[in-house]
Amino acid sequence: MNSGRVSIALGLMLLLGGFGGAASGKGGDDFDHEKHRKVFPECLGCHAGVTDAARPLYPAAAACATCHDGVIERLVDWAAPADRPSNFRFTHADHARKSGAKLPADSSLACQECHIPSGAEPMTVRRTLSAQCLDCHGVRAAHFSAPDTACATCHLTLAEATALPEARVAAFGKPVSHDEAGFVTSRGHGQLAERGDGTCAFCHARDFCAQCHVNAPEVKAIQALAADARSLAIKAELAAPASHREARFLSRHGGDARRDPARCASCHTRESCIACHRTRPTIVLALPDSGSGRGIGARIERKPGYHGVGFADRHGPPARSAPGTCSACHTRAECLECHRPDPGASGNYHPAGFLTRHPVAAFNRQVDCTACHNQGAICATCHEQAGLASPGWRRPAYHDANGAFALNHGVAARQNLESCVTCHTERDCLTCHSAQAGRGFNPHGPGFDPERLRRRNPQMCAGCHGRSIPRN
Amino acid sequence: MNRGFGWGALLLFAAPVAAVGQEYLLRLDTRAQRVDYRGLEEDSIPAGEVVSGPDGGLETPDGHAVTCIGESYCHFFRAGPVRQGAPLVTSADLTAWGFGVTDLSLHANARVGLDLGTADAWPGSDPAVQLNEGYLQYAAERVTGRLGRQVERGRLGSYGHDGLHLAYRFPSLDLTAIGFAGLGLARGSALPVTSDALNPLDEFQPRERQLLVGGAIEWRRRGVDARLDYVREVDRDTRNFVSERMALSATLGPVSGWSLTGGADYDLAWGWWGTADLAIRYGGTRFGGSAGARRYRPYFDLWTLWGAFSPLAYSAVNGSVWLAPVRGLTLRGGGERYWYPEAEAETPLVGEETDGWRWNAGAGYTISPTVSADVGYQVAFGPGAASRGVDGSVSVRPLPMLSLTAEGGYQVRPLEYRVEDPALTWYGIAVGLRPAERLRIDFRATRYDENRRRPDASAIDWSQTRVSAGISWLLGTSVDRLPLPPAVRREGRP
Repeated sequence: MNSGRVSIALGLMLLLGGFGGAASGKGGDDFDHEKHRKVFPECLGCHAGVTDAARPLYPAAAACATCHDGVIERLVDWAAPADRPSNFRFTHADHARKSGAKLPADSSLACQECHIPSGAEPMTVRRTLSAQCLDCHGVRAAHFSAPDTACATCHLTLAEATALPEARVAAFGKPVSHDEAGFVTSRGHGQLAERGDGTCAFCHARDFCAQCHVNAPEVKAIQALAADARSLAIKAELAAPASHREARFLSRHGGDARRDPARCASCHTRESCIACHRTRPTIVLALPDSGSGRGIGARIERKPGYHGVGFADRHGPPARSAPGTCSACHTRAECLECHRPDPGASGNYHPAGFLTRHPVAAFNRQVDCTACHNQGAICATCHEQAGLASPGWRRPAYHDANGAFALNHGVAARQNLESCVTCHTERDCLTCHSAQAGRGFNPHGPGFDPERLRRRNPQMCAGCHGRSIPRN
Repeated sequence: MNRGFGWGALLLFAAPVAAVGQEYLLRLDTRAQRVDYRGLEEDSIPAGEVVSGPDGGLETPDGHAVTCIGESYCHFFRAGPVRQGAPLVTSADLTAWGFGVTDLSLHANARVGLDLGTADAWPGSDPAVQLNEGYLQYAAERVTGRLGRQVERGRLGSYGHDGLHLAYRFPSLDLTAIGFAGLGLARGSALPVTSDALNPLDEFQPRERQLLVGGAIEWRRRGVDARLDYVREVDRDTRNFVSERMALSATLGPVSGWSLTGGADYDLAWGWWGTADLAIRYGGTRFGGSAGARRYRPYFDLWTLWGAFSPLAYSAVNGSVWLAPVRGLTLRGGGERYWYPEAEAETPLVGEETDGWRWNAGAGYTISPTVSADVGYQVAFGPGAASRGVDGSVSVRPLPMLSLTAEGGYQVRPLEYRVEDPALTWYGIAVGLRPAERLRIDFRATRYDENRRRPDASAIDWSQTRVSAGISWLLGTSVDRLPLPPAVRREGRP
């Protein structure tokens, strides 16, 4: 080995470097090399440790006082930087030794090869110039455009670089390949990871993958990585796959899941499904449970586009024709919240303040109140307490806007019978409308088919007609 | 204590026990309300003591307008006593699985409801424990079976029953066949029709629960959903029909954003068509709307006499539109006009109203991700009732876990053939707090100030303040474990 060559070699690579962002700027120790270029003609005068591990890498601070004594030059407050942890895999001595063995005998590797930009003045010292490192190693590409396989040339894996702090991990640069279309898909980074060359491990560890991959415990490529919480310093945020934004995705996702459950399993746990599909369809069992070793999975904010404005008021028709579609997202309990109302609730289906509008809404029957409310348990109970209903014959005093209401109540009854029965009983009406007692007024109106009714439920006819049920 | 009370109590208190060693999801909701209000009280006065009021009408000496119909006493309504209602309701919704049989699960939805007020008459709080649903389910790829208390939902409404439900899917035909049978519950209730709680006015009531039998056929192909329903109820005591109905529903969605829905039900017992509707809808990213026609006929079981009074169906045409002209702003509007046929019960002395209409308009504006506002105007006019009013709200979310809403409105609502044209102003606040992912707390206070603009003493003060608070808690064996940061995904947000 040519010791002279080695002695010139290497050099100021010691001025550190990290993966990204460390390739420019003056030294981290704030020492202005250019200003001192006439004082220190060669690197090893100060950085003897580059070639001799027994000696320090940086000069002693007291050495500055040789000139900076307050007389010749002003006093300075300089201190040698502490050892800066890095993810470089070499020492200067090793690098010098190996390069010495590989390079032709008449060539030399000087400090400036790595620490002074090509063509620049001597002593324009920079941290590791990765482009020059790569060039020397035969990689003709910019640092983050280099092939993934080139990482190992200079770097340790994240798990090996145990001293590298989390903040430095967060500042890692991103390879250009990560911005390519399709990189986030299984055909992109998935295929790279499955290649098994361990490239991902230079920046990532298992914890990073588990941010998105809820099936991390089942993915070999992920399990091949070491666990390292520092990898969480790189945040992953995924957009939903394009398929999820298609108009009918919600109605089709069940079939897609059955055809290829593994695709869903990357981001979804059973909890993603059973949050909605509480009936646990079989396909759910193909997905992993959340729990130790995996995240909870994708959070789903679901609202089909066709719900739109005011869907609550018009959800009935589609729900009637395809209740299974609703049950993909809604639980039966959700339906019961409105369709079997909670007496303690203050507004759910109905808007705030509906109490004030309910008489009009009920009277004009915009919707079918009895689909959700039992007339006896809800309407009559409340009206009785409010003094609007009581058993027995009721005089028309309440309807005092119309002095002849009793004479014309038949029209109101046929139009709004559901409202009438929230205050009035059958007995009230039979006072007059009975064939056996009262005044014998016939209550039957348009569309009444006595023969049909007699066949279905003669007891109902007997309520007014006794045993003398007329045939027609 | 009825059987429902027992089932409900068992499931409510057994839920945490059943969850041990199993996988489960349990949602607990507790809500409380408090309101003081004043109703009416019927009274009478000898006809001889009635005086003429300033407008010439008859009234009591202290100013209550009276109704006298050829009897020795005239009748009127005066202010009733102040009543206090304070319902406290706790409900539990449980899904449990992991019983060693794949696809087997247990579902229960029950509530405990008490009225802590002096009137002890809050609607729906009797009996205190009610089991809405409680069934064991086996749901495999082709077969779903449920056994226990459950609710069947379809175009014919919700039918609760204690019985068996079976569904079988024919994937090659895109068909699902459904059948169910059991002892029925009353409509809109978790109680049987024999329950005293459903009969506060002492109506005629069946002595036995009805037998419920029904089925449905669902057909689903891309862009088409259709369902045919059939339900029959039979009185087990008399063997007479309680109901027999069938219905057809369909939704067509051949083009993205467009849908055509329609359906109708036919009452086989009465022999007449019931409710029907047909509507075409469009929902895009910037605007949408609908146009349709419908018909509404009330439905009554055959064990009541009400159907014999020939309730009329009305026919209606309607439409709605919404528009998002700029980001965050949504404008909406809709209307309906409806007609009743001849009632064949007219008298020559009184005119008959046979039509009505209603429309509404409103706007919602999301000012920023944390501030939004909404305002709406509604008008309704129909035989016997009308209203017009405006309401609005402003919601602010100063913290991700906290939402504050101020709301209010004003409304005028003459109704029920009664001499009143009350103007009602209401306003209130609502607070929503979500201190943890699976814990929600809310509070609402609303004040109603009513001015019953009657010319007589019956213009009582109905004004009231309602206060409510609630808490919802979701528990589960694994869903609340977050040992690793969750993935952050954004699903189709604009």
